[in-house]
Amino acid sequence: MELKQIPKTDLDYIEFYAKKLRESPEFFKQQKELIESQLASSSALTKQRFPKENFKAQVRAHLKEIGVF
Amino acid sequence: MSKQNRAYSIENGIIIINRELTKLDLFVKDFLDVLKRHSNYLVVSGFVSISTGRTRGTEDVDILVQKPSKIDFALLLDDLFKNKFWCYQGDTIDEIWKYIENRDNIRFAKEGEMFPNVEFISVDKSRPTKYFEFTHPQGIKIQDFEFKIPPIEFEILYKEIVLAGKKDVEDARHLRTFFSDIIKRERFKEYEPIIKKELK
Repeated sequence: MELKQIPKTDLDYIEFYAKKLRESPEFFKQQKELIESQLASSSALTKQRFPKENFKAQVRAHLKEIGVF
Repeated sequence: MSKQNRAYSIENGIIIINRELTKLDLFVKDFLDVLKRHSNYLVVSGFVSISTGRTRGTEDVDILVQKPSKIDFALLLDDLFKNKFWCYQGDTIDEIWKYIENRDNIRFAKEGEMFPNVEFISVDKSRPTKYFEFTHPQGIKIQDFEFKIPPIEFEILYKEIVLAGKKDVEDARHLRTFFSDIIKRERFKEYEPIIKKELK
């Protein structure tokens, strides 16, 4: 795809990427890597913060503490 | 351009996304495999954009579900627990049902995990905008994972008009650009007044 204008704002980049992706689905591979990397990080942090023993009770206490419910 | 070289195609009215499944897709698929046995549903918001290529992370997946009876909800809950989901709000029907009755959303994750999670949003006719999208689904398929989302034009306007945060406006721009060749202008006109009711 010819780059007619250099993206400047976040929305410009989103539009540029969406156009690129539409024409070149191999860019989905990058997206998969990003999503799975984030999931792995979240999972590691959760396990570090809330050990397996009494996991649900600890998570619920934390959610109450931060006002989720 | 051949089908293999396009990011998506339309087959029998269903949007086919040409990509591999991610672990996030598999989480949603696992949840929907259980939910579909008990209820109608609609996947909305961030996962719609992400499943169609928006490159951003998410921790929750919003799913609209027809407001269940207590008996039906107990059966769904039992099935979810058997399939290794846990509910943030409680472990028993009595603990969780009060949230459904009060129209509060509840969350489910896989055992031993907090994220990703499903935000379970029960809807009925008293929420006309949500009920409209719920009853006008668009099919979408990634490999063997087929599920229902709102019409693309509805999702765009809802993000631009009702949600309207930075992330939502960016998601809407992604959808407008990515689906620019199938978006129908007349649908924006049809959906706009329905969506604006949500603001009142």
